[in-house]
Amino acid sequence: MKLLTKLTLFITSSKLVIVLLFVLSLPFLVERIASEFTNNYLRQQQQKVKEVIKRNGIDFYLEGSESYGSYTLLKEEYIALEARDADFSIDTIETAERIVESDTLNYRVLMHTFNTGNKHYLLEIGKSTATISQYNKPLQRIASYVLIGLIIFSLVADLVFTRFLLLPLGQIIRGKLLNRKFPFRDNISPVKTSTSDFKYLDNSLILLMDQIHDAFEKEREFTANASHELMTPISILQNKIENLLDDSTADELLQQRLVELQRTLNRLKKIVRSLLLISRIENEQFSRSESCNVKELFVSVMEEITHRMEERKISLQLDLSAETQLQNINRDLIFQLIYNLINNAIRYNKDEGSIRVSEVKKAGKSYELIIEDSGIGISEKDLPSIFNRFRKASPAEGAGYGLGLSIVKSIADYHQIQIFTYSELGEKTRFTLVFPEQIVGSLNKA
Amino acid sequence: MNVLIVEDEKTLAFELEAFLKKGFYLCDLAHTGRKALEMLDLNLYDFILLDLGLPDTDGLILLEEAKKLNPDAAYIILTARGNIEDRIKGLDLGADDYLPKPFSLPELQSRMQAISRRKFGIKNESIPIGEFKIDLQNRTLLKGETGVDLTRKEFDLLSYLLLHKNRVLTRMQLSEHIWGSFTEEDSDSNYIDVHIKNIRKKMGNYASVDWLETVRGVGYKIKKPV
Repeated sequence: MKLLTKLTLFITSSKLVIVLLFVLSLPFLVERIASEFTNNYLRQQQQKVKEVIKRNGIDFYLEGSESYGSYTLLKEEYIALEARDADFSIDTIETAERIVESDTLNYRVLMHTFNTGNKHYLLEIGKSTATISQYNKPLQRIASYVLIGLIIFSLVADLVFTRFLLLPLGQIIRGKLLNRKFPFRDNISPVKTSTSDFKYLDNSLILLMDQIHDAFEKEREFTANASHELMTPISILQNKIENLLDDSTADELLQQRLVELQRTLNRLKKIVRSLLLISRIENEQFSRSESCNVKELFVSVMEEITHRMEERKISLQLDLSAETQLQNINRDLIFQLIYNLINNAIRYNKDEGSIRVSEVKKAGKSYELIIEDSGIGISEKDLPSIFNRFRKASPAEGAGYGLGLSIVKSIADYHQIQIFTYSELGEKTRFTLVFPEQIVGSLNKA
Repeated sequence: MNVLIVEDEKTLAFELEAFLKKGFYLCDLAHTGRKALEMLDLNLYDFILLDLGLPDTDGLILLEEAKKLNPDAAYIILTARGNIEDRIKGLDLGADDYLPKPFSLPELQSRMQAISRRKFGIKNESIPIGEFKIDLQNRTLLKGETGVDLTRKEFDLLSYLLLHKNRVLTRMQLSEHIWGSFTEEDSDSNYIDVHIKNIRKKMGNYASVDWLETVRGVGYKIKKPV
């Protein structure tokens, strides 16, 4: 999951939890506040009454009678004052029922006993619970709206800001990692950001890629120069041997030794030539503007290589349609690629084995060539390294200097052809070449 | 035929000269571009073998100059640079052939012979080999009027041997000629034997003499007619 997605999910869900908690606890909170407020109000009323009594005497209310009572018009509030025994003492606020003019109503009641003029009185001040909770609902609603509004605002702000904050990261990933093709030939500018972490990451990546690029360039240059410098002396040696061969017809033994020499030199020549080919491919010295027919290509490869198959009684089955055409390729290189794969399929086959070449076309887009042999196979351990230079599938195999598959890989990379390898030891090896659309073209859509 | 070998690597130039002399070519050597131009100014050549990597001149520029001085000569580019652009440029500038170093000397000579046939109209196209005749133009082997059915490679092999009939060709030289410079690692040289066997069988259907001679441990040659 992407960092941005993760952050978005987290921010959204955490805010949702806050909203949920608040909405759930709001009724309790409001009720609590209302009740606190009422208690406070009742205490204030009590204070007022006591001040009046202090100032004007209890008779201000009682007017000689034993008790006093008064209520507002809609019986929302009431006040009562009556004499009590001296041992009755109370000072509470509670919710209780009171009968006012034959209406039973619920009140929040403050009961308070006090002495004045050697007499003991009970003061009751009540406020109907209906009036207490009358603002609760609208209050809750308004509070909820305000909260939700604020949360949405902050959510949007968070998400926008996160997105903005993570923008450079996306640019780094897209520009530096996903879309870059080895060997990082193009120069790439640093991502604009004020976040030092991203700056650091970006700079490190640029530095790293530059280093890889430099090392790669050096290697390439070296291969090209070395191969070139080696070709001249090889050339001299080869031609000297040939002249010596011509001049020594009388001496059979010398001739045979010269042929040995020629064979060894030939090995060296082929290695150098292979290295040179790889470095030329990597230097992009080959044009990619030719086209060819796949089946015809295979047929011409066969022409070059049939003698090898005959020698070992290996059969080959070509399951290819005649019309598949490749474009934007270098024919010689693709030829070399197919040649090397078939050559490998022969070399690492068993006597009287078989090779099968088939194709898979997918909805006019990708095109797969499958070359499968019934050969000795490649062990799982060796499979990842078969395309490395100078690596043999098995050290037990005498022949081969392991450049054939390196060339295959270079050519495939050069044409953006993907290679998948599958092998069962002692059973088979299968190379699958997946050609990109620009090579397969429109002909295969038909 | 007169040949100018333009090659800065003296040992190599010497080997080329030594080989071509045996084929009755008359060779002059030039180790620099300047020297080459001097000699071109003085003499007319049939062949100019041109190394592209000269110390004083770019071989391709020299080619242009040389063409002005000696337009009728056949030009063969020899180079260890061997990149595709050079090859295309060279052929565009009018070179007749292009041989990447290292090359085999018999290969060079057979290329020169091919150019001779093409360019100088030397129509020695039908070469006898005992009771057989090899027609290079139509790429056929004839016994009387009957064609002997050879594959392309078999024909290449036979005609290559025939063009160098006084010389033993090693399996290495033969395989390089018919398979070119495929960059595979294992040597094709043993497969030459298979082809030779096939050619012998096919020719054996028409004649009792085996015209292909095996030189033990070395290679093959065309038998001298008695």
